Amino acid sequence: MAGPTPVQIFHEEEKKRQYRSGTFFLKVGLLLLFLLVPVLFPAFKTIDLAMQIVLFAVLVASFDILLGYTGILSFGHGMFFGIGAYCVAFLIGKYGMPSYTNLALGFLIAAIVSAALALLISFLTLRVKTIFFAMITLAIAELAIILATKLTGFTGGEDGISLNTPGIFAVSFNMGDFMGLEITGRVFTYYFILFSCIALFLIMLRFTRSPLGRVLQAIRDNVQRAEALGYNTFLYQSISITFGCIMAALIGGLYAMWVGYVNPESSLGVLTIMLDVLLMVIIGGMGTLYGGIIGAAFLKITQTFLPDLQHLAMDLFPHAQLLHNVLERWLLLFGILFILVVIFFPKGVIGSVNEYLLQRKMAKPTISPSSFTPTPPGNRP
Amino acid sequence: MIEKTPDLIMETRDLTIRFGGHVAVDHVNLLVEPFVLKSIIGPNGAGKTTLFNLMTGQYKPSEGRVLLKGNDITHLSAVQRTRLGMGRSFQLTNIFPVLTVLENVRVAIQSRKSIGLNFWRNYLHFPGLEEEAYSILEDVLLDKKWASPASSLTHGEQRKLEIAILLALEPEILFLDEPTAGMSQEEVPAILEILQRIKDAKDRTMLLVEHKMDMIMTLSDTIAVLQDGKLIAEGDPEEIRKNKAVQEAYLGGGARRG
Ligand SMILES: Nc1ncnc2c1ncn2[C@@H]1O[C@H](COP(=O)(O)OP(=O)(O)OP(=O)(O)O)[C@@H](O)[C@H]1O
Ligand SMILES: [Mg+2]
Repeated sequence: MAGPTPVQIFHEEEKKRQYRSGTFFLKVGLLLLFLLVPVLFPAFKTIDLAMQIVLFAVLVASFDILLGYTGILSFGHGMFFGIGAYCVAFLIGKYGMPSYTNLALGFLIAAIVSAALALLISFLTLRVKTIFFAMITLAIAELAIILATKLTGFTGGEDGISLNTPGIFAVSFNMGDFMGLEITGRVFTYYFILFSCIALFLIMLRFTRSPLGRVLQAIRDNVQRAEALGYNTFLYQSISITFGCIMAALIGGLYAMWVGYVNPESSLGVLTIMLDVLLMVIIGGMGTLYGGIIGAAFLKITQTFLPDLQHLAMDLFPHAQLLHNVLERWLLLFGILFILVVIFFPKGVIGSVNEYLLQRKMAKPTISPSSFTPTPPGNRP
Repeated sequence: MIEKTPDLIMETRDLTIRFGGHVAVDHVNLLVEPFVLKSIIGPNGAGKTTLFNLMTGQYKPSEGRVLLKGNDITHLSAVQRTRLGMGRSFQLTNIFPVLTVLENVRVAIQSRKSIGLNFWRNYLHFPGLEEEAYSILEDVLLDKKWASPASSLTHGEQRKLEIAILLALEPEILFLDEPTAGMSQEEVPAILEILQRIKDAKDRTMLLVEHKMDMIMTLSDTIAVLQDGKLIAEGDPEEIRKNKAVQEAYLGGGARRG
């Protein structure tokens, strides 16, 4: 036998580097930060912000499975999110007592309903053309909002549904002080959602790095070639879409648990949820999964703190009229910030950083051209 | 009932396709013995690519049948035929441009081994897939480039990659449509060497469409000549060189020569 091939050597080196790389420490740091938020910043505003970032980061990742890994644009992702939120709200709010069983059942029904709907839409549209998928999902998402608003008896209409989380997740639950931190139902809910989201994220990572995930990227790259290799592209695309939509529904259910309330506008909204998700994926970068974290953090933090910043500036400079005029339009500021990000990170933050790291690696003379990193999936144009 | 012709790996019977009024392939009866390299030549527009498309299932014939090892496969799709061991390269380069060179080949091996639907294991935990892909890249003299994105390869290298993808499927029959098309003169000998190697391994049947005559003459066991969709001659290189009809077709048809 000849020695190890360059491919094997590359993977060996990769493995050795794994726990020493900057990105590894970044991930650990991020994880610690989110774990410590209830301890370090117990104010409701900060805990809520952290939770929103976590939920949306994972939601964007599930959207990225469709857009970045399968090349399919869906305007229905917010709707699947809302379906999950409503399913959980039905089971432990409108139609059931808050119990653990009902909660679990809510998530199960959310997964089944979203899977069925995703498969149906795939079968109706994919065989024709993938752009049909975007159009049909937009139409169905609008229809879902109308249904949720008009079927007052079933969905609670505009008023929405309030729900009570069971047992240790209940708002009233309180175990008293523990090392300065008050252990309430909120805290349990925070950690439950955090760990669920991490689990969902790991599942999605595995999905994209499985043989099936690699086929999806091949299909995205060249459909005809993938078909000629013997892959049933329709089947693969349907599986990926269904998977992404189930993820969205589960995240929606978690979201309902956190906010304790669903209504058509905030849970199903094409403009509220869908637009945010689109902005986040553009900021973070497509085809990276991790991009969602950056995108969600950027958007949620600016949305939360720009108004505060504005008040602060107004208090500091009470006489600068021009500044006041600009600051009053904080959305405009946000728009400018968004444009700057897109200009400086054309492939999204993660995508552009990946590309920069790759170029630096290739430029190093010590590494022969045959052993540089294979393009990570994040570097798609 | 179809009577089987033994010892043939592939056979077409009165294979015909019409595009509107134009008969692109006209009652072609082609016999392919196993483990030979058979070339199909003819002037531009003679119907060579179309004949390939009919045999590999991209087109459905207006008339006639396609047989694989004596079995009628006329109604099978291209994907089904791929699964039966027919591998096809295209006249226009057809690769995955964003994926790396290695991944292009690995995805093909994955298809052959039918593990594409696995979504719960890391793709690197299938031992041997990447090593096998790498060894195929060595066969087509592309191993140095394994980590590059396929789009960064030169045209000639991309054609080599196509052959590698094809070999990864381990087809019993290889359909090669102008593997040297659009290649620079310096890149041609490498392809010739690769094809010669595959041929010398004597474990595959190859069908080759080419315009470069010297290449055809050195590589082929037998040659079939198409003109206006009709099969006008068949034989070994020597016979074809001497054939009057072929000479006329080429002198009159103004074909490109290699
Ligand atoms: N899909 C199609 N629709 C209509 N006409 C077609 C189609 N495919 C091929 N033809 C016609 O069939 C004839 C044969 O084409 P084909 O591509 O098979 O030629 P060829 O022998 O491969 O030529 P070349 O050497 O230039 O590749 C041409 O006249 C072409 O215009
Ligand atoms: Mg042709």
